[in-house]
Amino acid sequence: MPEKKQTPENTHAPDSEEVRVGVYTCHCGGNISHVVQCERVAKLLGKMPGVAVARTDPSFCSDAGQAIIEQDIKELGINRVVIGACAPSLHEQTFRNAVTRAGLNPYLYHHVGLREQDSWVHDSDKEGATEKAVRLMSAGVAKARLLTPLEPIRLGAEKQALVIGGGVAGLRSALDIARQGIRVTLVEKSPFLGGRMAQLESVFPTDETPRQLLHDLIEQVTAQSNITILTAAEVTAVSGYVGNFNVTVTQHSRGVSDEMAEALLAACTQETPDAFNYGLTQRKVIYQPYKGCYPPTPAVDWEHYDGQPIQVNGKPVVLKDEPQVHQLTAGAIVLATGFDPYEPRLGEYGYGEIPEVVTLPQLIRILAQVPDGESLIWNGHPVRDVALIHCVGSREIDGIHEPQADGQVNNYCSRVCCTASLHTAVELRKRFPTSNLYELYQDIRTYGRGHEDIYRQAQASMVRFLRYHGDEHPEVMAAPAGDKHPVLVRVKDHLTYGEEIEIPVDLVVLAVGMMPRQIDDLVDMLKVSRGTDRFLLEVHPKLRPVEMAVRGIVLAGTAQGPMNIQESLSAASAAAAKVASLLGQGRVELPPFVARVDESKCDGTGACVEACLEEGAIALQTFKENGREVKRAVVTPANCTGCGACVGVCPNRAIDVQAWTLAQYEAMVDAIAMDIPAFSEAEK
Amino acid sequence: MENLHADALVVGGGIAGMQAALDLADQGFQVALLEREPSIGGKMITLSKVFPTLDCCSCITTPKMSAVAHHPNIRLLTYCELESIQENNGGYRAKVVQKPRYVDARKCTGCRECEYACPVTVPSPFDRGLGAYRAIRVPFSTAVPQTAVLDMENCILCGKCEKECPAGAVDFTQRPESFEIQATTIVAASGFELTPLDAKKEYGGGKLQNVIDPLMMERFLAPTGPYGRVLRPGDGKEPTSIAYVQCAGSRDETLGITYCSRVCCMYAIKQAMLISGALPMAEITIYYMDIRTFGKGYEQFYQNAQAMGVEFVRGKVASIREDDEQNPVVNVELTEEGRKMERTFDLVVLSLGMVPTLGSNLSLGLPIGTDRFISIPAPNASPCASARPGIFVTGTAMGPMDIVDSIVTASSAAAAASAYIRAHQKEIVYA
Repeated sequence: MPEKKQTPENTHAPDSEEVRVGVYTCHCGGNISHVVQCERVAKLLGKMPGVAVARTDPSFCSDAGQAIIEQDIKELGINRVVIGACAPSLHEQTFRNAVTRAGLNPYLYHHVGLREQDSWVHDSDKEGATEKAVRLMSAGVAKARLLTPLEPIRLGAEKQALVIGGGVAGLRSALDIARQGIRVTLVEKSPFLGGRMAQLESVFPTDETPRQLLHDLIEQVTAQSNITILTAAEVTAVSGYVGNFNVTVTQHSRGVSDEMAEALLAACTQETPDAFNYGLTQRKVIYQPYKGCYPPTPAVDWEHYDGQPIQVNGKPVVLKDEPQVHQLTAGAIVLATGFDPYEPRLGEYGYGEIPEVVTLPQLIRILAQVPDGESLIWNGHPVRDVALIHCVGSREIDGIHEPQADGQVNNYCSRVCCTASLHTAVELRKRFPTSNLYELYQDIRTYGRGHEDIYRQAQASMVRFLRYHGDEHPEVMAAPAGDKHPVLVRVKDHLTYGEEIEIPVDLVVLAVGMMPRQIDDLVDMLKVSRGTDRFLLEVHPKLRPVEMAVRGIVLAGTAQGPMNIQESLSAASAAAAKVASLLGQGRVELPPFVARVDESKCDGTGACVEACLEEGAIALQTFKENGREVKRAVVTPANCTGCGACVGVCPNRAIDVQAWTLAQYEAMVDAIAMDIPAFSEAEK
Repeated sequence: MENLHADALVVGGGIAGMQAALDLADQGFQVALLEREPSIGGKMITLSKVFPTLDCCSCITTPKMSAVAHHPNIRLLTYCELESIQENNGGYRAKVVQKPRYVDARKCTGCRECEYACPVTVPSPFDRGLGAYRAIRVPFSTAVPQTAVLDMENCILCGKCEKECPAGAVDFTQRPESFEIQATTIVAASGFELTPLDAKKEYGGGKLQNVIDPLMMERFLAPTGPYGRVLRPGDGKEPTSIAYVQCAGSRDETLGITYCSRVCCMYAIKQAMLISGALPMAEITIYYMDIRTFGKGYEQFYQNAQAMGVEFVRGKVASIREDDEQNPVVNVELTEEGRKMERTFDLVVLSLGMVPTLGSNLSLGLPIGTDRFISIPAPNASPCASARPGIFVTGTAMGPMDIVDSIVTASSAAAAASAYIRAHQKEIVYA
């Protein structure tokens, strides 16, 4: 008996079922309706074949708007839904949920991005935009008529998360995820936890000790039995997808055992600039960054260790790095890779040329080494007059300030430097009461809770404020020989109505901004995106503020943008909440927009396998058919990204991406190019 | 109302409360979401577009409202007032009063027939008094739930709504009903209030007709607003010159509010940009002390506004008076020039700040800071933990912040609350 071939079209949409399309043109709260005449679009679309109802609403995404669609599905028997609204990235899921609630397969719905593709780009041509809306919506209807029910790809999810970065954000995320009963592996590149926060001496606005806060946090993390900490470790390969990322971590040796630690530390003589103190001091190549660090065991700085034997009790010991490779599976990945302070260019405000010019992070380390009650000496001079310059490496203006190597300027505000700078000024005044302090700023941005009090404290401590304009940066120069002060700062001060002021000082402090950590490898491996400011980019600042476009990858802390400690902690906990929601159920759902092979047409040419850009997404398999062996392409849906590379190369048109089939594209093209001379006629 | 049990009680159904509730519910916890108004949505649902993306505000808010309404793990309790809480059985017992809607919520379909029948028109607080609604109404078009509410203060008891209601839902006999919610943890998302318009007498807010607050401007700019365009409330004239007075109610010792309200710079810039779109010929001047565009993408937003021709003038507005044509005259000290000047505008917007909501904060019995927002004892260790164990704080209940920060702190509070639930409940029953 001849068997009717089961194509997706006739599997789920029996001929008997009449296609009834509901077309919904959303005003998008004016975003669309201010340009596109939505009522005209609806009226015209209502006349298209297969369209049973066409409506408009101020916002279909609202509960009332969704209810209209649900009611139509239930009461008018609508079985295909086309919605013209904002970008699908915003509300496709919202409408899928609504369609599902009404009992219709969620994939019998098509979303047309009228806001981004039409009204926002044609706001000066209302008639043209309206016609374009008609065409785009018609194409949507043509496609929707050919849609078939689909099921999402359901996969088990590993109840394990990978947190990359062991600073305050990574630690907080790891702790909060682990507390939800999800195992965590925390990977930190340096041999010690704590990140940038450990380099601070006092945290605003509470004046707590950062290393004590870190110690308390690390104690909670290490007490959690389901957290594995890998220090001196880096992620070197990632494959897979949400729920099942396969991760390779390469971990360097510590180089020093607990028993040998003391003797080796004492015996080691090779020194290198101490990164913990921003290169201001030297340390040994076997080191602990600070007292009370975690893990407490010293580590070898492999990058700087010269490989020479170290004499311990008369015996030469050669230290060797034997990296260890860990393979792990993670359902989700938290990126908590943090920031680097902006490194001023050589000569920028005299940095690197005049020894009395330092950055704020450096000053904090310098002050940490001055015992209480002693005076501050820098470069052989007692320091009495200090100028702090704000917005160094922040709020730069394109075309005015020198771009960096990538051609860009840092045009963002780094958010923490104002308060950090004022907080330091208050400390300087307290510790060195006779000092003269100058803050050179553009706008004081003490926005946080308690931050304005620090500003007021600084004002009350007689800190002098000078306001410069963004296009007139202050100048820093070495003072002529014989001057009482080594440096001169020249600024056009707008608080004294534009007066040119010259301030002789002993120290210039640059309140440098934040730059994202250099994580190019990781960005490539994870295929995540960065914003124009080079920080990692969230999907949407309000709808999904800590999630990345790659599902299962979330953001914590300053990898996303400048933040202070409190904000980093909040973002880290938020990231943990998303991971807990995602992995809590032990399964994830992926969209079904993947390649599908029509085996009746497949000849097993293998062209698709060659064209495929993913690993393990499509392969040839041998089947027995009528007694002979044939090769057919088989898709592994979980690995397929639905890119369509295979579709284009198949000589037999045997492959389609589900919900984006060639037949659907053709129908859309026909509809979009259709002759509508009756654009005005049809309305009559 | 029967008494309820929940893993978490979220107090406040604005954007922060909704997000916290969704995050907890998504993790499988049972959430009771309490809102004192007849609809959730908070302040955010009244806004026009939101910075820095200029997304239409209802496009962000209404789907979250819908998600809350449909979530199987969220019990939505609107028009409910929190009376008090009490430590009980390792958690908290909350006393709640359901205020009478005079409409049976189970019967009401939101058809609005009552509203059409009602003869009483009252100024609508949703439109900041610029528009009107009926004494019985669905609170606003995108309200959740779509359930009518009758305000007895303005009702003349004519009975027309009762007659017209096809569902027989109008019920004049309703009384306040008390009930209790036993919850392991509480998330306080009680939000903020705008500094009163008349707080600073020198600015004439509340007295001068064409000196308005920023939420009024939001309603002018919102497509769902009462007029669908920007005009001045005094005489309906389309304004051609508009001034923004920054820090009107923030960073001001004379008002006892020394803190920065964080959002005013950005909303003023945003409104200036939107007004420029609606009224291309209008001149917009922003008087400021410091422009604080510190968030992600905000500095560029500020630069865009400058490029669009919005005028930023560093100066402190000393006072505002009115001329004979009700035009506000701004007396400003130009701090970069060292002189005072007067300038007449068609409309002045006072960039008012945020002050805490007191009602539910008092009921929660939480210590407050010198700024009167809920105190967070260890912001650099537990940024959402209040002084009482098991009570977490999110959004503007803990101080001024914008929507982006409110949403992040909401998820953060949800993480803290869920850890607390797991540690304090021996057995967790998943939905």
